[in-house]
Amino acid sequence: MKKDNLAPSIAGPGKLASYNNAFELYEYIFETMPWWNPGSITREEAWALANYVLKLNGTRPEGLTLTTTNGYAIPVHRAVTLPGKEWPGVLVLTGVLVLAAVGMVLQARSKHTAGTAVLPKPNFIHHLHPPSIPLLQSRFRYTLGAGGISVFLCLVLLVTGILEMYFYIPSAEHAATSVEVIATLVPFGNLIRNLHYWSAQLLVIVMTIHLIRVVLTGAYAKPRRFNFLLGVILLVFILLLDFTGYILRWDEGIRWALVVGTNLLKTIPWIGEGVYQFVMGGPEAGPATLTRFYAWHIFGLTIGVAILVGWHAFRVRRDGGIAVPPPEKREDKTRITRFELLRREVLAMVITGIVLLLISVLIPAPIEQPLQETGLDTSDSRAPWFFLWVQQLLKYGDPFFWGVLIPLIVVLVLGLLPYVLPKAKAEELGRWFPRGNRLAQVLVVLIILAITVLTVLANLPIIQ
Amino acid sequence: MNKTTNRRDFLKLITNALFSLGGLLGLGGLFRFFSFQPDPGPPTEFDLGPKYEYPRGHQVIRLDIPAAIQHTDEGIIAISLVCTHLGCTVEGNEDGEGFTCPCHGSRYSKSGVVLEGPATKKLARYRIEEQEDNTLMLYTK
Repeated sequence: MKKDNLAPSIAGPGKLASYNNAFELYEYIFETMPWWNPGSITREEAWALANYVLKLNGTRPEGLTLTTTNGYAIPVHRAVTLPGKEWPGVLVLTGVLVLAAVGMVLQARSKHTAGTAVLPKPNFIHHLHPPSIPLLQSRFRYTLGAGGISVFLCLVLLVTGILEMYFYIPSAEHAATSVEVIATLVPFGNLIRNLHYWSAQLLVIVMTIHLIRVVLTGAYAKPRRFNFLLGVILLVFILLLDFTGYILRWDEGIRWALVVGTNLLKTIPWIGEGVYQFVMGGPEAGPATLTRFYAWHIFGLTIGVAILVGWHAFRVRRDGGIAVPPPEKREDKTRITRFELLRREVLAMVITGIVLLLISVLIPAPIEQPLQETGLDTSDSRAPWFFLWVQQLLKYGDPFFWGVLIPLIVVLVLGLLPYVLPKAKAEELGRWFPRGNRLAQVLVVLIILAITVLTVLANLPIIQ
Repeated sequence: MNKTTNRRDFLKLITNALFSLGGLLGLGGLFRFFSFQPDPGPPTEFDLGPKYEYPRGHQVIRLDIPAAIQHTDEGIIAISLVCTHLGCTVEGNEDGEGFTCPCHGSRYSKSGVVLEGPATKKLARYRIEEQEDNTLMLYTK
């Protein structure tokens, strides 16, 4: 380029030094160009120009359309290569797992029934199971496998969460960008993030199904009522983990959920302000909040869940296994060995894993542009889906009553069910809808129905 | 009895092989995941400014590179200040002659030759090029 050019050159080494990423370049172009009438070009034109400048510099990644979100992850000064197509590899893995699942189903035809065959030596995982259990306890149509699948989802969350930690930066400045880097640049980063996201969503649903199953089969009654209480606490912990994880995105999508969700704490009489500051780490949401939520998410709450899951599983066994009638009242007295039990568990895990992989390849987890100092008109004002019912309740009046007290009462009612309401008889156990605890069944169905209706209402456009 | 056992063993073998294959695929993906480097490497080009700022016999220490720019009989040269032992940045001696490593005590002469161990290799040289406008550029690669 000639030295007497009017405009400074925009390509070549050392140029564009004041822009860190493609988004900053785009924003500058959008606000200042053309110089005779700044701000007169459209956003699309500004992106096209930013694309062009990056191309001149040789730093535009092949095959990427720059957007407000991924623009933050694309540096201006050095070339980045996008990971190649990953879905074929993931589909091959899924295919292998499908074949393995078929293999496991076929093995069932030659299953061991307790006491009929010479058994192989148990390995460590077998040892975590009782030597044999009644067939009734592992019938899929009775248990729905919901407890086991929940444990599997927790394991997936643990592994994918640890992997995300290798690239996630828990600072207000870099959090959203680092998530975007995981989603666009890291090989298989998008898959791992999607797996983490979808496992977390699925976990809430599967745990709720587990809760409904336990109530509709009357399985929570003494001696299992303490374990039921543990389960309800576990569900609350998982909801808190989902919420803190959602906040860790620190993008425009979380702005109002964070503000509203935590301002609710302030409405608690007397202790509200104190609780708020304990949660937020300051008088309002800021960088300290992100650090706190990060610590709660990856450590505090996670270790709580680890302990609760272990305790919950231990109590299942201590309380005599999954609820079935006492031996003399059982119609089917067949027992299965731990080898068959583990085969069933692994099969359920593999099927869940296949479903998770397919969802994660098809539907990306949400991410928006980094949280700005002042709110954008584009920011989503809705709570995460599992708290939409609370958001709907808040439209009815006093925030403390509708937003804190009512959800708290719901949790209390659920937890105290087995201590207050009539229970099913011992011979009624092991099947759906026993007569003995009808009242509790109706109550829980009504609660779940109400939450579902409220969630649907919150999704409808507001009718004035 | 024998037939079912064989069938079961065969199925088990196939299933385990498939799980191992799945595990290997996962490990491959994991390897690629971990091999991603989010940070750019350090810069490899440094602008040293106009040539006249380096008179004969003069030495300038640039800690950002880090290098010592010397105008000697052979012209303007750049000596890397990265100790060849284990990578600490060596310090200029108080008399202005030679360098000493603060970590393990290696000593180098002014031109970078090892005077005392544990280092065994002399300090590296960087390439310097004069631009059209009489400024100097230093290249570490």
